[in-house]
Amino acid sequence: MKTPARVAGQLTAAAVYAAVWLFLASGGIAPALAAQAATHTVVIDGLKYEPETVKVKRGDTVVWINKDPFPHTVTSKGAFDSHEIAAGKSWKYTPRKAGEYAYICTLHSNMKGTLKVE
Amino acid sequence: MKSPMIVFATTLLLAAGGVLAQGAAPPAAAPMPAAGPTDPQIAHIVVTANQVDIDAGKLAESKGGSKEVKDFGKQMVTDHSGVNKQAEALVTKLKVKPEDNPTSESLKKGGEENLKNLKGLNGAAFDKAYIDHEVAYHEQVLDAIDKVLVPNAKNEELKGLIVKVRPAFVAHLDHAKMIQSKLAKAG
Repeated sequence: MKTPARVAGQLTAAAVYAAVWLFLASGGIAPALAAQAATHTVVIDGLKYEPETVKVKRGDTVVWINKDPFPHTVTSKGAFDSHEIAAGKSWKYTPRKAGEYAYICTLHSNMKGTLKVE
Repeated sequence: MKSPMIVFATTLLLAAGGVLAQGAAPPAAAPMPAAGPTDPQIAHIVVTANQVDIDAGKLAESKGGSKEVKDFGKQMVTDHSGVNKQAEALVTKLKVKPEDNPTSESLKKGGEENLKNLKGLNGAAFDKAYIDHEVAYHEQVLDAIDKVLVPNAKNEELKGLIVKVRPAFVAHLDHAKMIQSKLAKAG
């Protein structure tokens, strides 16, 4: 036989569980994790950075994939430098400071791109 | 030193002229003009053009008088080898058998004469001769790409490969011109 008090206690516990589940499912943690680690891809193909301008948030990761049959670089003087990215290879960079960074390929000066960090 | 390039240019102009004449001539009256290069010939021209610059680059890598010229030679070897690897993979895939022709023959001959000339030079004289030739060579190849190779390539993938690597030739030409003007100031 359950006393009314015991039933009330179980109901409260159930409500707490439900509240916790609701918080986990729709609440703060999942979106917070997703916003933390976005990855952006720039493809290097036919001596072009695609997209030419990439907009990211501080802490995001940008991956440059070289699809050309010879090396390229992703070089922003004083900010970042991939050095040679061989054919078929990639290079990752995680900007920590906001700003607009123009970059070039030091091997092919007609290649230009921009990384915008918010 | 310039003569092989002129021979090459003339051959290309003849090839281009053939195409132009073909377009302009009334179909029945004129005798059959020389047609532009076929895909197997274009493939041979592409591979030969790259190989010629790889060979010159290797020589510059070892004989160059300045670090800048050595580095440029090394990059020519890397870039043109990469293009050729891709070109060879494509012709294998398409089952195209590259076919020798007057344009690739004159390219090859020009390359051999350039090497012969460069082997007799050292230091600053080598650098100047090598870079002057690189400027002329890349100009001629760009001209060939625009007037002969791209307009005549029938297979879309072959055409696509040429169009895609064209900016590399532009970058190489700009780079060679930049070194050329530096060498002129230094000399």
